[in-house]
Amino acid sequence: MRLSDATVVIRPRTTWEAMDLGVLMSQQHRRLLMSSWAIVTLPLFALLSLLLWDSPSLALLIFWWLKPAYERLPLYILSKALFGETPTLKQALRQWPRLLKPQLLASLTWRRLSLSRSFLLPVVQLEGLDGTERQQRLQVLLQRHSGAPRWLTVIGAHLETALWIGLMVLFYMLLPQQVETDWDWQSLILASGHDWRWLEHLTNAFYALVLVVWEPVYVACGFSLYLNRRTELEAWDIELVFRRLRQRLNGAVPVLLLAACLLLPGLPSPVWADEPASGPDAPRLLNQPLTSEASRDSIKALLEQPPFKNKETVTRYRFGEDPAAPARPEKEGEAPQWLKTLLDWLDGQQLNALANLIEVLLWGAVIALLGWLVWRYREFLQAFVSRRPRLPSRTRRPVPQHAFGLDLSRETLPDDIAASAEQLWQTQPRAALGLLYRALLSHLLHDFDLTLKPADTENQVLARIEHLQRPELLAYSRQLTVHWQNMAYGHRVPAAHLQQELCNGWRVLFGPGGNP
Amino acid sequence: MLEHTAPPGKAPLIPPLDTRHQVETPEGIDLPLRPAGLMVRAVAFSIDLGLRAVITGALFIVLAFLGKLGMGLGSLLLFAVSWWYMVLFEVLRQGQSPGKQWMGLRVVHDDGTPVGWSASLLRNLLRFVDLMPFGYFLGAISCLQHPTFKRLGDLAAGTLVIHIERPLTRPQLPEAEPRRSPIPLSLSEQRALLGFAERQAELSPARVNELAALLAQPLHISAPKAVGELNGIARGLLGPT
Repeated sequence: MRLSDATVVIRPRTTWEAMDLGVLMSQQHRRLLMSSWAIVTLPLFALLSLLLWDSPSLALLIFWWLKPAYERLPLYILSKALFGETPTLKQALRQWPRLLKPQLLASLTWRRLSLSRSFLLPVVQLEGLDGTERQQRLQVLLQRHSGAPRWLTVIGAHLETALWIGLMVLFYMLLPQQVETDWDWQSLILASGHDWRWLEHLTNAFYALVLVVWEPVYVACGFSLYLNRRTELEAWDIELVFRRLRQRLNGAVPVLLLAACLLLPGLPSPVWADEPASGPDAPRLLNQPLTSEASRDSIKALLEQPPFKNKETVTRYRFGEDPAAPARPEKEGEAPQWLKTLLDWLDGQQLNALANLIEVLLWGAVIALLGWLVWRYREFLQAFVSRRPRLPSRTRRPVPQHAFGLDLSRETLPDDIAASAEQLWQTQPRAALGLLYRALLSHLLHDFDLTLKPADTENQVLARIEHLQRPELLAYSRQLTVHWQNMAYGHRVPAAHLQQELCNGWRVLFGPGGNP
Repeated sequence: MLEHTAPPGKAPLIPPLDTRHQVETPEGIDLPLRPAGLMVRAVAFSIDLGLRAVITGALFIVLAFLGKLGMGLGSLLLFAVSWWYMVLFEVLRQGQSPGKQWMGLRVVHDDGTPVGWSASLLRNLLRFVDLMPFGYFLGAISCLQHPTFKRLGDLAAGTLVIHIERPLTRPQLPEAEPRRSPIPLSLSEQRALLGFAERQAELSPARVNELAALLAQPLHISAPKAVGELNGIARGLLGPT
């Protein structure tokens, strides 16, 4: 045994990881392991079934009981393959009778039901220990982590059962409809007649098939657990590195000497790059077994290969494009009886009520979900989905009651403004013109809703009147403003004819009463 | 991290089998993940199954008092537990359902990143395919035959179930005078020396001497003193404690 030849990475692992390594080992040699197992067990199973045709269960029991005998073959293959000497199928099969000899009786009788079977098999088969030596060895091996091989066997038993039943169900599912309808589900299970004997043997055969898949894995896992325990106990990984280090240290001296000898005569060699004819593309080295052409070609060929260039072929399924293909006649077979009864039972009245309740609940959940969505995105909806948002209503400023020191409230004005102005004009022209201007402003403020600020000048007021788009009002206002300004700031009394003009203009605009 | 068994000059064409699965990050760093096989996953699944059975059983007993309403709620509960138990635990608890946590497992994406909603949903919805036709038949076969132990749901979702790294404990080295190594050591050699010192208690004295004797001659130390010398070098590598 040379550890450096091992084809697995040797290091201490957890027990579960060691089992994973066993699965990997069985995968690596799956074809050899499965075929050798099948060649050994399936004929034996057939023989047992034929001999014990009338008692299928007994045949299966014997087949199952003999498992430790078959397990020696995969272990032999795995132990050889571990060090890179994988045997061929023929070699392995030829070895099997020899493997059976040591302690077969013990492993088939009192050790048969041991849960650590696969873990302890290497002690007998590979180490060849017997009697007290074996006992001592087992004691050491089982000192720690002894639960793992037991777990492996327990899991294996369950897995075998699951796969077995799975295969039976698969078989039943794959039966053609015509055959299936003839079979009653229950009579299959309770079959006792001779007619169904072959079916029992068939299900037994399924078990034999399941073992073909599972047993190599089981043996490999037991073996890897054993290897892991030995690695732990004997520090195989450390030994490996130490051996390599030793090799490196012992080998270093001669290599150094050799290198020194080769490099010592460091004569200056001619500079090849100076020669103009031998560029990298020029044909050269023509007289050698490997010419530069050939080497370039092989380099190109290498560069075309996977690590440098990865070609990929993609294949897809496509539906046939022939529209004339006849549609397959859809013919649903009758459902089996047991399914019908199950459906009938499910159709019961109480389940209807339950279904209604659940339906209500589920619809409620949908509505709640919608509500939640609306609530969750309420801001988004307000911003982007609803109608144009109403602008905040403009705050109405309080109407100013005074401008240029004039009282603009309506109550202080006389009823007939034009008449009052005419009367006042004789005695106090300033008051008459003031009254007219004050009344104009008051009208603008109250009747035309013009916004006037106490700080507005006369020209600003005129500019606002322009916005009203009333030419005659604008013209009159201009005239009045000019005269009012002349009077107020220039103390120039307007001519007499203007008085009549202004009062008439007022009447035309606002009516005789002054309040239009 | 890779420790090849064979020396570099004679490296075999097929790399040696290992349970480590290297994932390369965009930065060019190899992350060693350890995919978990069928056995440990089956145990973790059984724990989860038992836990779910206990939860639903207890709630069903309570709901049985509510009559029809209870039955309706029970059905919803059954749906939630059977389809969402794994997904919620996996996504919200770093890929660990209680059973997986118990067994030290974790679900991750193929590139080692934490599992997300879509991957977890997909791998758990496809349980339905994996358990066809009975008791995870297809899942078990796929798990046993795939190099990184994926069942069909894992294949579809691009996820991986891995062993989590257990927290390291500080190694206890035997007492020795720290000293420098007389020769430069590579990383794996330093590790082996440290391992030699750490695991001495588990090895038999004869085996310890045998291992130390391997290095006695190249290091020019006498065989009886070799163990002490190697322990000293290991101490020196470990540094002041």
